[in-house]
Amino acid sequence: MTLLVEILALPLLGAVTLGSFKSVLPRPLAGIWASLLVLGAFLLSWAAKDRLALLPAAHRVITGSLWVWTQGFGPAIHWALYLDPMASIWTLIITGVGFLIHVYSNGYMAEDRDRARFFAELNLFIFSMLLLVLAGNLLVLLIGWALVGLSSYLLIGFWFGRPSAVRAAKKAFVVNTLGDVGMLVALVLLYARFGTLSYTGLFGALAHSAPAPMFYTWVALLLYLGAMAKSAQFPLHIWLADAMEGPTPVSALIHAATMVTAGVYLIARLYPLLALAPGVGEAIAVIGAGTALFAATVAVFQKDIKRALAYSTVSQLGYMFLAVGIGAYVAGVFHFMMHAFFKALLFLAAGSVIHALAGEQDMGAMGGLYRKMPWTAAGFLAATLAISGIPGFSGYFSKEAILGQALNTGHPWLWAVGAFTAGLTAFYMFRVFFLTFLGKPRDQHLYEHAHEAPWVMTGPVVVLAVLSVIGGYFGTGLNTWLTPTFTRYAGAAHFALEAGPVWATAVAVGLALVGIAGAYRLYLVRSMSVDSGTERAPGRWAAASWGSDTAWAWTTTLPLMALGDWLTGVERGFVGSLAGVGRGVLAWADELRPIETGLVRRYLLSVMVGSVVLLAYFLVRF
Amino acid sequence: MLAFGLVLIPWIGLGLFLLPKGWVKAGAVVLAGVEVLLFARALLAPMPSSLAVVNWNWIPSLGVHFHLSLDGLALFLVGLASVVTLAAVLASPNKQGPAYYFWILLAESTAIGVFTALDLVAFYVFWEVVLVPVFFLLGGWAAGPARRTALKWLIMNLFGSLFMLIGVVAMGVVHAQETGHLTFQLASLAHTTLVPQVAPWVFLSFLVAFIIKAPLWPLHGWMPPAYSDAPAPVTAVISGVLSKLGVFAMVRVLVPLFHAEMAQAEPWLMALAAVGLVYGAELALRQKDVKMVAAYGSLSHMAMMALGIFTLTQAGLVGATFYMVAHGVMLGGLFLLLGWYEERTGSRALTMLGGLNQSVPKLTAWFQIFALATLGLPGLAGFAGEYMIFQGLIQNNITVAAVAGVILVLAAWYMLRLFQGAMQGPRATGRSPADLTTAQVGLIGALGLLVVVLGIWPAGVTSHLPVLAPPATHALAHASHRKGGEPA
Repeated sequence: MTLLVEILALPLLGAVTLGSFKSVLPRPLAGIWASLLVLGAFLLSWAAKDRLALLPAAHRVITGSLWVWTQGFGPAIHWALYLDPMASIWTLIITGVGFLIHVYSNGYMAEDRDRARFFAELNLFIFSMLLLVLAGNLLVLLIGWALVGLSSYLLIGFWFGRPSAVRAAKKAFVVNTLGDVGMLVALVLLYARFGTLSYTGLFGALAHSAPAPMFYTWVALLLYLGAMAKSAQFPLHIWLADAMEGPTPVSALIHAATMVTAGVYLIARLYPLLALAPGVGEAIAVIGAGTALFAATVAVFQKDIKRALAYSTVSQLGYMFLAVGIGAYVAGVFHFMMHAFFKALLFLAAGSVIHALAGEQDMGAMGGLYRKMPWTAAGFLAATLAISGIPGFSGYFSKEAILGQALNTGHPWLWAVGAFTAGLTAFYMFRVFFLTFLGKPRDQHLYEHAHEAPWVMTGPVVVLAVLSVIGGYFGTGLNTWLTPTFTRYAGAAHFALEAGPVWATAVAVGLALVGIAGAYRLYLVRSMSVDSGTERAPGRWAAASWGSDTAWAWTTTLPLMALGDWLTGVERGFVGSLAGVGRGVLAWADELRPIETGLVRRYLLSVMVGSVVLLAYFLVRF
Repeated sequence: MLAFGLVLIPWIGLGLFLLPKGWVKAGAVVLAGVEVLLFARALLAPMPSSLAVVNWNWIPSLGVHFHLSLDGLALFLVGLASVVTLAAVLASPNKQGPAYYFWILLAESTAIGVFTALDLVAFYVFWEVVLVPVFFLLGGWAAGPARRTALKWLIMNLFGSLFMLIGVVAMGVVHAQETGHLTFQLASLAHTTLVPQVAPWVFLSFLVAFIIKAPLWPLHGWMPPAYSDAPAPVTAVISGVLSKLGVFAMVRVLVPLFHAEMAQAEPWLMALAAVGLVYGAELALRQKDVKMVAAYGSLSHMAMMALGIFTLTQAGLVGATFYMVAHGVMLGGLFLLLGWYEERTGSRALTMLGGLNQSVPKLTAWFQIFALATLGLPGLAGFAGEYMIFQGLIQNNITVAAVAGVILVLAAWYMLRLFQGAMQGPRATGRSPADLTTAQVGLIGALGLLVVVLGIWPAGVTSHLPVLAPPATHALAHASHRKGGEPA
């Protein structure tokens, strides 16, 4: 328990100290201090994992409560913490990948005058995300959930001088609030029924409570609304691409590796509840597969390297939801882990490119960069191979586990969508790789000034590249490690990793190879430009995310603003009519002026007199 | 005794008129500070009831008692009044004369009177006297058409109080007829049952007065000019403390005396609050004046408190009471910040992306924190209140809970629009105003600390609250699980 508090305390200490003293700290110190604290949290997380491993498998939970959050209307709700094998995986990834990205940021943000604020907010994020996964009840989870949203908002809007960054930050916050509200309603529903929000209390009560499919379905859907918003599932994906306005390390840490996977964590954490809510798992899986395909089609047409990666994240999150939706929980967590490695790597490498090109993000101005930045290019290639599901690389293992289990659990259509998307993924990722690193430089001036990133930035890239290559071999160990989490309560019958039929793997890999060949032919052999295909109808729509922003504007924001304008008119008329009454009273008061006692004294006197008269009247009658 | 002291001490402010000019503010700070210390004394050490309560036979012939008690329900609202008043006095400019400070202190005294009164006549007297200091504060120090603003406040509230007076008298008389004993003690009146022909009207007479004072939609006409034109410290007191009188009175008077009528009228009450919730939020979304965004946002949040109360559940009532305290601190702080903003820019216009961020980082940081607290960020004070109100709503009316949920999203939208519009964007050209002074940072930092503490430890307040729900609904709720929570 103390260990859990210490894990949380380190990054919080960083956020508070850096936030309070940001103007007096020497600049390089801020980054070093923040990175060391996250490293400390990583080592403590490792120690916590070891302590869990010492416990017998059936009792691998460390839990406790700090103080009462609220009480006075029922059983108290506590500040409770909870560490089990799944939470420990998450803490290791958050602090481990988080540390690498902190180190990288020392180089990336070296010239920014607001570096201390950047690291304060980054540490705040690490604290919030750890709080989310170490929560012992849904309330603490919701607080962590909202605080990661806050850190995300702060970091998207880090360069607050840019109107586009400010708008993107607000959009991310508001969309996520929609999800938070769904969760809030789910929480009060659960509390009203069970009188507790703690995992142990809740899941224990679920085991022997009367069946209430409607109730569980609603609660699960409301919680899923939170997951949808945080993990950018269709149709709440609209904020993630705009979130790329934040500095690239932020995109790597928050909007790829960790925060956006919080929805996967939530669903996996709530498997006993999900098991009682008929149809919700299927819905999650279908929306996940749909999101995977949808975002992949959008990614194909992006010009901006970060937006292409953002849609790729949305697509990969779709795979994770496909996994947890069909009950393949370990596969979902596995893919989260692998994705954390290769997607963080993709963003860090892209960040190095952007850094080298003085902030240029348009792939139309890149090309041939491997000659200038060999380490970065190699890292990016490793991650691209991993995400494309090429056998031997990390992504292959986790993706095959998901697709195989889709077939095994009787969801051939979900498998088909997933396999097709795998081909599309290979195509758009190699498109990005070819356009950025191979071919001829398209902007000679930028190319000549490009340079390999300093070692603080290439170091983390290399570490993540190694993990992206070998990560897949953790699969079996992960399966064993997570078993206690998913056997603790009933409801996860098919949680374990399973292999699919060989022909299915062959098809998926074949499609990926076709995708790579297609990208090679179009973008290297025929040297197509980055915006080819977006001039005409389907491509243009796809590039604009199939019009989802426009749809949201027309159905939601614009009507709400119109209502506000109309009510403003109503209010004006209302205040105006009241002013008329006021004028009348004033005119009347002016007529009474001869009496000439100050207005207020007269009013108050008449109040007194009036009350006395009334009292007297009733007394006499009485 | 302590309650009476809290009411009495601000009247020493009359002595401010005797002080030399340079000492006036210091004198006011001392008086407001003593109030905070008295509250701290009440909070930190358990009190014998002889210390917490005064109950004097005030007008024996009418059975009127001067009955004040610093009970669990009153305690934190008294704390709110003392803290926000001290903050407002500290934030006021040094040049203000004794009258200004005296009226602010008097507003505090009367508000504390309303919070602690347990006799309906004493309650009514304080309720009425509140009008005086605010009338003079608005009339004397508001910008724009001050006279009209002040009169609007006075006339609307007097209109409400007149009805209430009839209600007060009717309650006493009916009770006397039933028991042969004339009294206005709330505890005794709670057992009075009015005849069905009269009851709704008496209930309504109280309700209208409370709605106007809060204010709640649709009787909020006095609010927009008062909140936006009064000097920031005065707005902080009105919106932070005095607006709570109306909703507090619902918990103190309506629920014990009229829970049957409330239960009967529940769909209407819920609809009223729900419309106000949407109305305030929608208007806040489209305002072009920074203080108006906060004002209409507050109108929406007041409706949230009303919703909690109208559920008549323990969770809803506890949540609403907690939210009063939280909202008071948040809004008091927010209006002080908006005042500092206005001081630096010379304008209240919400131009999109005002670009002050670079030049005033401290003001920006605190503005951000208070904006987040007000919009209900989990972990800060506003959320805790909203959570408990939702807990009550869900037991009672799921549709309204859904509407309230949408409003939370709108709140995020309009508060961020306010913050970003005022502070962020490209650096404004030709302006480089000074940042907050150390004293200002200390002041807003103290309020900010309260917002955090209330957010992570709402139990610090809610565990002091007594059982508030009426017996009928109370039994349905989680009464059986209740632990602790006796009045201090």
